[in-house]
Amino acid sequence: MHLDRRQFLEVLGTTAFTAVGATPAGASGGDSHEDPMGMLVDTTNCIGCRKCEFACSQAHHLNDLPVEAFEDKAVFENHRRMDANALTVVNRFPNEEEPDKPTYVKSNCLHCLNPGCVSACLVGALQKTETGAVVYDPWKCIGCRYCMVACPFEVPAYEFLEPLAPRVRKCDFCAERTAEGKIPACAEMCPPMCLTYGKRSELLQMAREKIEERPDRYVHRIYGEEEAGGTAWLYLAPKEFEQLGFIHLGSEGVPVLTETIQHSIFRYGVLPLMLFGLLGATMRSLGPEVEPEPAISPIGQADEQTLSP
Amino acid sequence: MMRAAPIRSLPILLLFASIRCVGQHDTLPDGVDLSRCALCHSCKEPTHENPCLRPCERPPESATVTLSATAVPDVLVLGQLSELYVPVVFPHKIHMDMESMADGCNVCHHHNPPGRILACRECHGGPSNQENLKQPSLKGAYHRQCLSCHREWSHETDCNVCHVRRTAANEANLPGASDVSDIMGRLHPNISAPDKWVYSATEMSDGPVVSFHHQEHIQLFGLKCVDCHRKENCSRCHNGEPRDLKPRVREDPHEDCARCHDTSDNCALCHRRAETTGFNHATRTGFALKAYHAKLECSRCHLAPKQFAGLDPECESCHPAEWIPEPFDHALAGLILDETHVEVSCADCHTAGLGKPVTCGECHDDARAPLDKPPGKKP
Repeated sequence: MHLDRRQFLEVLGTTAFTAVGATPAGASGGDSHEDPMGMLVDTTNCIGCRKCEFACSQAHHLNDLPVEAFEDKAVFENHRRMDANALTVVNRFPNEEEPDKPTYVKSNCLHCLNPGCVSACLVGALQKTETGAVVYDPWKCIGCRYCMVACPFEVPAYEFLEPLAPRVRKCDFCAERTAEGKIPACAEMCPPMCLTYGKRSELLQMAREKIEERPDRYVHRIYGEEEAGGTAWLYLAPKEFEQLGFIHLGSEGVPVLTETIQHSIFRYGVLPLMLFGLLGATMRSLGPEVEPEPAISPIGQADEQTLSP
Repeated sequence: MMRAAPIRSLPILLLFASIRCVGQHDTLPDGVDLSRCALCHSCKEPTHENPCLRPCERPPESATVTLSATAVPDVLVLGQLSELYVPVVFPHKIHMDMESMADGCNVCHHHNPPGRILACRECHGGPSNQENLKQPSLKGAYHRQCLSCHREWSHETDCNVCHVRRTAANEANLPGASDVSDIMGRLHPNISAPDKWVYSATEMSDGPVVSFHHQEHIQLFGLKCVDCHRKENCSRCHNGEPRDLKPRVREDPHEDCARCHDTSDNCALCHRRAETTGFNHATRTGFALKAYHAKLECSRCHLAPKQFAGLDPECESCHPAEWIPEPFDHALAGLILDETHVEVSCADCHTAGLGKPVTCGECHDDARAPLDKPPGKKP
């Protein structure tokens, strides 16, 4: 296949612009929602009953385990992570001052306001909904697992044991239930009601009031208020979050750095145009030394003569 | 009438309101503190019909509300999940008496507005409070309230500590099926009640020994634990640790007995020189309780309450002549009342009276008299 210089440039340009156009599609999960829903987790009330795990398992049909299967306290001996069959797990952390009152922390997707997984997803299988939930569409997913790398909380899990149609699994904030007007299954089940579902702004206000009312009970910080640009799930804890398995994160959204670089480079196609302009200029400047025109002109003239009537 | 000049009559209105408040809430502290009425009532002139109560607003921090318990429930049966679980019996009074709850009712009845003590459910109403996020629902309120202490005390936070799953086996013992206010019900684990207590009353030279047949009072006389063990609390029996028991101390030793027995005279009834054996109807009254009579409750014969002596031991005093009640099986007495015999009146056979030897000769001649089966009870 022969391409002349003009056609070559056209093809390259189109490809480049398509790429530019495609990039923002996967990174559209910015902080566009004014007041998303959230969940306030008061870990000081959690008793480690694991009913949230049971409720989640029921609501998402993860397994058919009966409630008794979730009453085993031996699981607290080891730190557990979420997996494809457990979208939320409770872990126990020792309390040195009062050994009888360990702290239990429920882990699940925190539903970042500016989620790294949504930004990393090539095909838009992960999306942030209007309610603030980060939801997953298995029909779009290509199984690249970039989301798993992108999540600072190591939340998304993968169905490695499903050879035919493996899915990425993570908490979806019970999007189906909330669409029906219900509250997430874990919050509904939680016996001491450590989980409060509501508008994130109201929850923040409530969390601040709680700290103000009981300053000795809580560490004076709300995890998720600033972390990773803010998360829909907010946590109150009796001691520093870093001692309770929470990772230390800055207040910048996970995809902010990458998206800034990518978006700046490809904004309005300035950089590709510049590069191709430079390429063109270089080729043009080299052009007169090659001078291919006379060599092919006789053939061209011959063709024209043959085709002309 | 007063609305014509609302601003000028406002002080009068407020005065009326305050009088009403004080009148209905005798626990309201003295003095006319108008701001307190407004804590609970949204209108200026609350009436009994329209109290216009606010939905349980917290009293301000400055208002310290003193709650006093007048009539408090002994136990509360929390049966919201009774379809799944055996209702939870909360020994309210025992909790009230606990020393560590020295702060009083406010420990649990927090943010109670002045006046009546509200039950948990009156503020923490429905299954979920999405309207008021700060106020946990009844489920959350119960669990937080219980677990805030019990996590530390018993270390047991398993659901089945309080919630016993309903099964066919425990259906008969559901609170409500039996009297939950009875200590032996579900309030106290496995009290091993003694058969007999022997008290020494050395100051009584004539009768220094008092035998109290404890088990007999329960099984034979049908008393419940709470009939005698009133106003009990943990510290009356326990020295802090569950196993560290101490003897009960009574201000008046006759305190418990005197509820049923007349202790003003007739000391010799209880005060003896030696231990007594238990109650025996045959030796005490001369009337042995056998067969059917042994199964009857005392009150079936002793109809007048607390009146046991003086009952006529003759059968006719309870059983009139025409008495053949449906459940009574005469065959057990040795004779099947067949078609012929059922027509005969009782007195025709029971010539000497009911319960005495019967005669057959009134109807049967000697040849036909069942001599091989003399009248009497089956062996």
